[in-house]
Order: sequence, then structure tokens, then C-alpha cells
Amino acid sequence: MNYDNVEILFVEDSLDDAVLTIRALTKSGFTNKLHHVTDGAEALDFIYCRGNYINRKIKDYPKLILLDLKMPKVSGIQVLEKVKSDPDFNSVPVVMLTSSNESPDIEKCYALGANSYIVKPVDSDKFFHAIKEIGMYWMILSQAAH
Amino acid sequence: MKNTDSNELIIANKALAFQNAEKVKREAELIIANKELDFQNAEKKDRAAELIIANKELIFQNEEKERRAAELIIANKELLFQNGEKERRAAELIIANKELAFQNKEKEKRAKELIIANKGLKKAEDDIRKLNDELEQKVIERTSQLEFVNKELESFSYSVSHDLRAPIRAINGYTRIIVEDYADKIDADGAKILQAIINNSKKMGELIDDLLAFSKLGRKRVSLSEINMFDLVQSVREELLFGAGKNMPKFKIAKLLPAMGDQSLIKQVWINLISNAIKYSQYKTKTTIEIDAHQMANFVIYKIKDEGAGFDMEYYDKLFGVFQRLHAQDEFEGTGIGLAIVQKIINRHNGTVWAKSKLNEGTCFYFSLPSINTKS
Repeated sequence: MNYDNVEILFVEDSLDDAVLTIRALTKSGFTNKLHHVTDGAEALDFIYCRGNYINRKIKDYPKLILLDLKMPKVSGIQVLEKVKSDPDFNSVPVVMLTSSNESPDIEKCYALGANSYIVKPVDSDKFFHAIKEIGMYWMILSQAAH
Repeated sequence: MKNTDSNELIIANKALAFQNAEKVKREAELIIANKELDFQNAEKKDRAAELIIANKELIFQNEEKERRAAELIIANKELLFQNGEKERRAAELIIANKELAFQNKEKEKRAKELIIANKGLKKAEDDIRKLNDELEQKVIERTSQLEFVNKELESFSYSVSHDLRAPIRAINGYTRIIVEDYADKIDADGAKILQAIINNSKKMGELIDDLLAFSKLGRKRVSLSEINMFDLVQSVREELLFGAGKNMPKFKIAKLLPAMGDQSLIKQVWINLISNAIKYSQYKTKTTIEIDAHQMANFVIYKIKDEGAGFDMEYYDKLFGVFQRLHAQDEFEGTGIGLAIVQKIINRHNGTVWAKSKLNEGTCFYFSLPSINTKS
């Protein structure tokens, strides 16, 4: 598989949410190359070119990371912390995806340097809008920065 | 005869001479005796004078004695009187002593009773202290149990929000995919059913969100400050009327007194009450929503009155219940959490919320908040 020029790294353990999110992005006109991983450990492997991604070029980092908060093994928080404390990667915008704004981790995410967060709404219309707006904003910003 | 006579004369002379000598002697003796007498007289006079003095002295002494005797009589009488008094006092003292002795016995009895009562009190006190200690212990235990339960509830809320929302989101999202991608394969009835699934899953999402918002209220810290209620109500009104359709009720907002409260929470109260007033007025034309306030003791009572649908006061006790609704969903939308949130917020401010209503005539909500002079 070719992992070159991945622009959006999408980290989501729920396949249903992944299907809906990818659909929302596609329908919102994102044609950027997206790679979906299902847990935090794999996300870090991708970023640091380890394991399955050993052949990937480390300098070829994504323009946006969409990161689910609650995941098995390595959580979204841990991935965020790692990425934002690494000077090589801390400029990559990270948008957290959470299931509700009840989450006690939202403040922690901001403290760790998350750029935004999206509460995944039940209403798919709203979900599309949220994904579109936030995704668009950070993609544009990220492109301008590079 | 002449001899004889001469003899006799001589003898007579001699006798005379002798007698003379005797006389002289006697005279001398008399003189002496006189002198003696004189002396004795003088002595007698002296003695008489001394006697007079002594008599005077005696008389004086006798008088003194009489006076002293009179004084003694008086003194004796006084003594007698005093003795009588003393006897009387003694008799009184005996009675008083008897009384004291009786009282002492009573006192001893009372003291014993008091000692017993004190022991009782001490025991009661010990019991109370023990009970207090036990209570305190229980309170500590209960508090930690409550804290534990609260934490459980919090994590329950979180997992409810996370875990329940995910499948509903999937139902909603996949149904929409069917509607969008398979429209040509579904007839009108099918499309209607799919829309019902979408609406219901959306509704369930709202219910979960409301429930979580409500449970979050109990944990939120209330930070009091002085609220300019007039400005707050105006801004809420503007927000709610922004983009609103036609047939909006007229607002009549009086000069509202300020109060102490948590600005963001009280804003939520106004949002819920004003949007309710608008919602329940929607089927009537030209209605008015009146908002005013008045001071009552240490509280400010706010009032919001609409001329909308109203409700039957028979069901008043359900008004502030969670997910309790007094109108059909088809008639007026809502999850039934709004007033429960209002009540919870007002209660957390030590205030009260209540309402009066008449079906088809309108509703009046009241709530109280501490006035700004009662900073606690």
C-alpha cells in the first residue's frame, strides 16, 4: 500500500463512525488523500514510520490529524500528547473527535495543544457540517503554514 | 491672948502664904491646863472642821451612792430587758435552728437528688455525645458513599453519553445514507419510514444530551455575582427572536431589579422560560409576554407571563419533573427537560420557582433569587 502524500490521518476505532466521517468528508468535497487507522498505537506507528509504516517517509507528515478521543490501547490523549510535545510534529493541526461534550478530557486536550474538537452529533446533517467546517478550516490553515 | 492670936496669925499667914503658893501653883497648873484646854479646843475645832469636811465628803459619797444605785436600778432594768430580749432571741434562734436543720436535711435530700439527676444528665450527655460521634461517623461514611455514587454517576453519565450516542449516531447516519444513496429504490412509504427513523434517533440524541446537561447542573459550581437582570433578559430576548418567524408575541419588559446569581445559569433559566413562553404562544395571534420583578424580603421575585396555551393546574406537580410534559409532542415540541433545569438552577441559588396557569388563557412563571443586599 502506498502511504505517500497522506494529507489527513484519521484515527477512529469505531467503524461506523469511520464510515460516516469519511462519507461526510467526501461529500463535503475533501478529495485529499486520507488514511484511516483504528487505534492510537497504529497512529503513532504511522507518524513515526514504524511497524507497518517502516517504509514511509517521516518528513511526509499529514496536514491534519483527526483523532478520536476514546480508543483502546493508546488513547487519543496519549497520541495528542506525543505529537504536540514533539517539535517535529507539533505544528500539525490536531482536531479531536469526541462522543459528547460531557467528556472530562476536553479541557485536557486543549491544555495539551489540540487545535479544535468536534462533538460527533447524532444528527448526521450536523455531523456533516461540523466535519466540513472544522476540517476545512484546519486544512486551509495547515496548507498556508507549509 | 495676943500670942495665940499672933500665932494664929502666923499660922494663918503661913497658911495664907501656903495657900497663895498653892494658888500660884494652881494658877500655873491652871494656865497649863488652860493651855492644854486651848490646845485641846483647837484640836477639837480642827477635828470638828475635819469632821465637817468628812461629813460633807460622806454626804457627797452618799449622794454618789444613791445616784449610782439609781443608775444601777436603771441598768438592772435594762439588763432585765436585755435578758428578756435575749431569751426571746434565743427562743427565735432555736426555732430558726430547727428550721435550718430541716432545710439542711431538705438540701441534703435535694443534693442527693441532684447528684442522681446529674448522673442521669451525664449519662444522657455521654449518650448524646456517643450518638453524635456515631452520627458524625455515619455522615462521613454516607458522604464518602455519596461521593462514590456521584463519581459512579459521573462515569455512568459519561459512558451513557458516549456509548448510547454512538449506536444512535450510526442508526441516524446509515438511514440517511439509504435515503440519499438509494432514493430511486425506495417508494414514498419507505422514505417516510426512513425519515421517522432519522427523526426518532435525532430525538433520542437530544434526550440524552438534555439528561446529561441536567445531571451536569448538579455538579457545576455556582459562582455568585451581581446580575443586571434587565440587560440579561434583553439579550436573551434578542437571541431568541433572532431569525424568528412571524407571529411573534409582543414583549413588555419592565425595569428589572438586579439579583445575586450565576450569570450563565440564570441566563439558561431565562432562555428556557422565554422560549417556553414563545413556544406556547405560537398558535395564538397578537399575544404579549410580560416580564417584571418586585422585591420581597431578601429576595427578588421575577415574573414572566404569557397568553399562550396554558396548562391544567391539576397536573401542576408534574410541571417541573424530568421528561414530564403536559402537552403532546405533535402539538408542542420539546424533551421535557427545560423546566426541570430551571427548577434545579433556582434551587441551587436557594430560590424557588412556581407557576400559575389556566388552560387556553396563559401561564405565569415566578422565581426568586437572593437580592443584591443579601450577599452571603
